[in-house]
Amino acid sequence: MTATAPTSDGLTADGADRRPAPKPPRGGTRRVLERREARIGLLFALPAFLLFLLFRFGPAIAGVALSFFDYTIGVGAEWTGVENFRRMVDDPIFWSALRVTVVLSLLIVPVSLAISTFMALMVRRSFRGSGFYRSVFFLPVVTSLVLAATVFTWVFSTNGPWSKLMGALGFSTESWLGDTLLVLPALAMVAIWSRFGYGMLILLARMQDLPRELEEAAAIDGAGPWKRFWFIIAPQLKPTLFFLAVIETTASFQIFDLVYVMTAGGPARASYNLVFYIYDQGFKYFDLGYASALGVALFVVTLVVALIQRYAIGRDK
Amino acid sequence: MTLRTTKRLWTAALAVGTLGALSACAGGAGAGSSTPTPEDGAASGSVTMWTYPVIADEAAHKAFWDEQIAAFQEENPDVDVKVEIYPWAGRDETLATAIAGNKGPDVVYLIPDQIPKYGKSLAAVDNYVTDQVGDLRENASKAVTVDGAMLGSPLIMNSKPLVCNAAAFEAVGEAGNYPETWDDLMALAPTFQAAGYDVTNYWGSVDATLNESFYPLLWQAGGSVFSEDGSSVAFDSPEGIEALQFAVDLAEGGYIEKDLLTTIPAFEQTNTAKGKIACTWQQGPADVAGFWGEENVVVLPPLKEAEAVAFGTVGSLSVLKTAENLDAAGKWAAFATSPAVSTEYAKAAGWFSPYESESGLYADDPVLSALEDTLQYTTAGEVNEKSREVMGVLAPEIQAALIGEKTPEQALKDAAAAADPLLG
Repeated sequence: MTATAPTSDGLTADGADRRPAPKPPRGGTRRVLERREARIGLLFALPAFLLFLLFRFGPAIAGVALSFFDYTIGVGAEWTGVENFRRMVDDPIFWSALRVTVVLSLLIVPVSLAISTFMALMVRRSFRGSGFYRSVFFLPVVTSLVLAATVFTWVFSTNGPWSKLMGALGFSTESWLGDTLLVLPALAMVAIWSRFGYGMLILLARMQDLPRELEEAAAIDGAGPWKRFWFIIAPQLKPTLFFLAVIETTASFQIFDLVYVMTAGGPARASYNLVFYIYDQGFKYFDLGYASALGVALFVVTLVVALIQRYAIGRDK
Repeated sequence: MTLRTTKRLWTAALAVGTLGALSACAGGAGAGSSTPTPEDGAASGSVTMWTYPVIADEAAHKAFWDEQIAAFQEENPDVDVKVEIYPWAGRDETLATAIAGNKGPDVVYLIPDQIPKYGKSLAAVDNYVTDQVGDLRENASKAVTVDGAMLGSPLIMNSKPLVCNAAAFEAVGEAGNYPETWDDLMALAPTFQAAGYDVTNYWGSVDATLNESFYPLLWQAGGSVFSEDGSSVAFDSPEGIEALQFAVDLAEGGYIEKDLLTTIPAFEQTNTAKGKIACTWQQGPADVAGFWGEENVVVLPPLKEAEAVAFGTVGSLSVLKTAENLDAAGKWAAFATSPAVSTEYAKAAGWFSPYESESGLYADDPVLSALEDTLQYTTAGEVNEKSREVMGVLAPEIQAALIGEKTPEQALKDAAAAADPLLG
């Protein structure tokens, strides 16, 4: 085997680089540099970390601690151990609020993910006006939810367009917000409307990153749009879908504005979710100990659901 | 991160959080004398008062208090009074967290159902208002008294009796035939319904206060929310069932706007604002005059079943125990609620004075004069520390009855079962 002689610029005739690799800095120097870089990095991250510690982590931990106290503003605090949690277990309103929270989430998350994926598929190719459509679909995400909820309260009222549409289709014209069975689907519709743009944007970014070759090859082999999506695109979206599922579930567990503006938890507690119950206990009745215990329960439920989702969707990654 | 490290972190964080929470709690409990006595001579120090947009025009509101501060300082030149006007929205959250953080005001504007809630943080003002208390209307005095102590000094009061729409009565051919009793109202209902009007309205959303919706009916039926000693609820009595049945009959008959039972739409969108209603006990003349036309607003005594009772709130000034200069705060609260200041404030806000001697404020205004005449029927509700919590469990049950999910008996029974443990 003959070696091609390197030219004066260090390249061989076949263009390969035969120049000797640059010498790495001596071990000690590299460590010093790395340490210095790490220090600078830490310095930059420090303000954000301190703010996070102070305003997110600290209150969260204080909230956990508070759940072991009977603390009412203006009255004082008294250590009660697990009494708040015992009260929670015996509290029918807690279980009803938990049920509402889970049902609302089950209505929102799958549909929201499906619509986000569909819309992302629709606008992923560049076509005339695609930028406009992407902006329009994202608009609800940046629209004030309180404002939107006020408008949707009218939309779903007895004289609103939704009831009129239902009437035209031969259904009852009663307001969905006044019906114990239909109130959650009504709220879910508004929540999905307000959130799908976010999921669409995240999925769009991921889709534009996917190599086109596989899809093109499948198309040549005769795979239709559905098969291309199901066997080629969807598997590659799994990590993104897992991320969105967790984010959307957490968001749906924490819906407050919509319930506050549209139903106040009614009718007959049919839309009274856990966050609203926490708000009532904490800021209406000032029972911060019990409100904190409810907050801990919500955290645990969210964590468990996220772990289940990780097992179901994200276990490959 | 290993499991052991995570555990250690959690343990440390929990300990830090507990200490933090406890140190925050330490500021919450009030200290000092609960019935302070005024010191001789002029007061000194600074006083911060929190109030809300009782006078809608903020500049006029501020100017009013600036004027009163100047007058107060003529006798107390060493007192620096600062009045801060906060929005109504979220006022309890702001006040409660400020008190907990020891950043609360010295004097604050409260309404009766807030007073027992903050009771442990409030100082009694009895000894500061001895000169003016004898002239107070009985219902105003009762509204601020908890366990025999005045935890606020009444400043203004209002009334929500029965307000009817003359144009609607004329339109359905019932001109001047205004209802006096529940039976009268129910008898009119089909006539109004046939003409496309609601006979009344009922705000059934669980977020709407029962003080203005269900409780007036309960009181009119002769019932009460709490037992006499306040240790249990009494709304599940036969009178309570009768009151709820009346509301349910209105709903089932289709005589009231259905959307209002479950939501709080923008007022402009309601039949009440559109003038498609006969009478209401949940809106005052000021709420509807702009929609119905002032000439169509007829103020009447509240409806009567066993008795005629209306809800009427009382705005008062309370002194916090934690006030830096308790004497200055007490003297300012007494001055700011004195009959002369109260009258001026009431007129600027379109309310009424809580003092008997200060009646007849609106001699030239037939609507407000008629409204003032109904103050005698008003109650601010039953003073109980847990009144809001009880409302919280009762309102959804009432709503369940109104939409036909439960019978009135069952709804009130379930509400009582949930409410009684709160009082225990």
